Amino acid sequence: MTELEQTVDIDRQTLAAWKRGSVRAFETIVKATMQRAFAVALGIVGNVEDAWDLSQECYMAAHKARRSFDIDRPFFPWFYRILRNRCLNFIERRKRRREVSLDVLVERADRTVSPEIALIRREQKETLWKVLFTLSPEHREIIVLREFQELSYQEISSMLDIAEGTVMSRLYYARKALHDALKKAGVEPFGEGG
Amino acid sequence: MACDRIQNDGMRYLDGEMGEEERAAFEKHLEQCSDCRTVLNEFGKLRAFTGRIKMRDPTDEFWEGYWKSLYRRLERRVAWIFVIAGAALFLGYELYQVIRHFGEITFEKFALVVLFVGFVLLLISVIRERVHHYKVDKYKDIER
Repeated sequence: MTELEQTVDIDRQTLAAWKRGSVRAFETIVKATMQRAFAVALGIVGNVEDAWDLSQECYMAAHKARRSFDIDRPFFPWFYRILRNRCLNFIERRKRRREVSLDVLVERADRTVSPEIALIRREQKETLWKVLFTLSPEHREIIVLREFQELSYQEISSMLDIAEGTVMSRLYYARKALHDALKKAGVEPFGEGG
Repeated sequence: MACDRIQNDGMRYLDGEMGEEERAAFEKHLEQCSDCRTVLNEFGKLRAFTGRIKMRDPTDEFWEGYWKSLYRRLERRVAWIFVIAGAALFLGYELYQVIRHFGEITFEKFALVVLFVGFVLLLISVIRERVHHYKVDKYKDIER
């Protein structure tokens, strides 16, 4: 079972109760999906405060639009469309760009390394996060979904409502753009520092 | 990009989205295709780099605060609905009384009319903003 299925598998009964207006059911849904929603928003807007506000606004919008939700379909891809549209609209319209939050990325395995390597890795992580925000939102989004959220092609296809073939080609161009941008930023060879 | 198999097969190979047979067949292709090998080698290094990293998990307090904050927003929205509905009812009724018993212009009547005009202007402004937002929202046709 993938991480997505584990975290966003919401039973039909809860969804039906939510559609009828149950705040308790809404709480269950939010608590099951908020981590992914926040991570996705953060991946698009780059800033913790904005990601918090936008993801919460989207839950409010979803709650308001709950009657149009089909309980026979999974919740998160439906919610994701609301979240994505709002985040993309937000980054297009914002007048003053907030700095991207630093210290967002961490090592998966907490291995002990020398202080020199730790410093190199820290710089690499910060550069990677900054470089991500020089890519187009579509490229950044697919990198976040695949690399950081570890979603399968089928899950990405369902969330973005695009064919799996499009997932592959978008991923290819996104990786190419990321690869070139990292190279330009001096993060090469990748994985250096242990 | 000289070989057109890199976009689809190459990405699926890199991401472990291929079955065993398909994988073996693509590996045979790789032996003969230096374009695919070069790209996959570069992307493989990139994948190893990004695969080592994940997004930081916020603290438990952060998540506790998340639902609480959302719940407060919900409460506030319900409160606003009551406030606006109550104000509209009250203003409507009072305006009706003013029109019904129209006579000497008193301070109360004047204040009521001012309040009513302000309320209507606010309403128009909100509606106009919503309409403008809808018109410029390029994602509005995306099905939700």
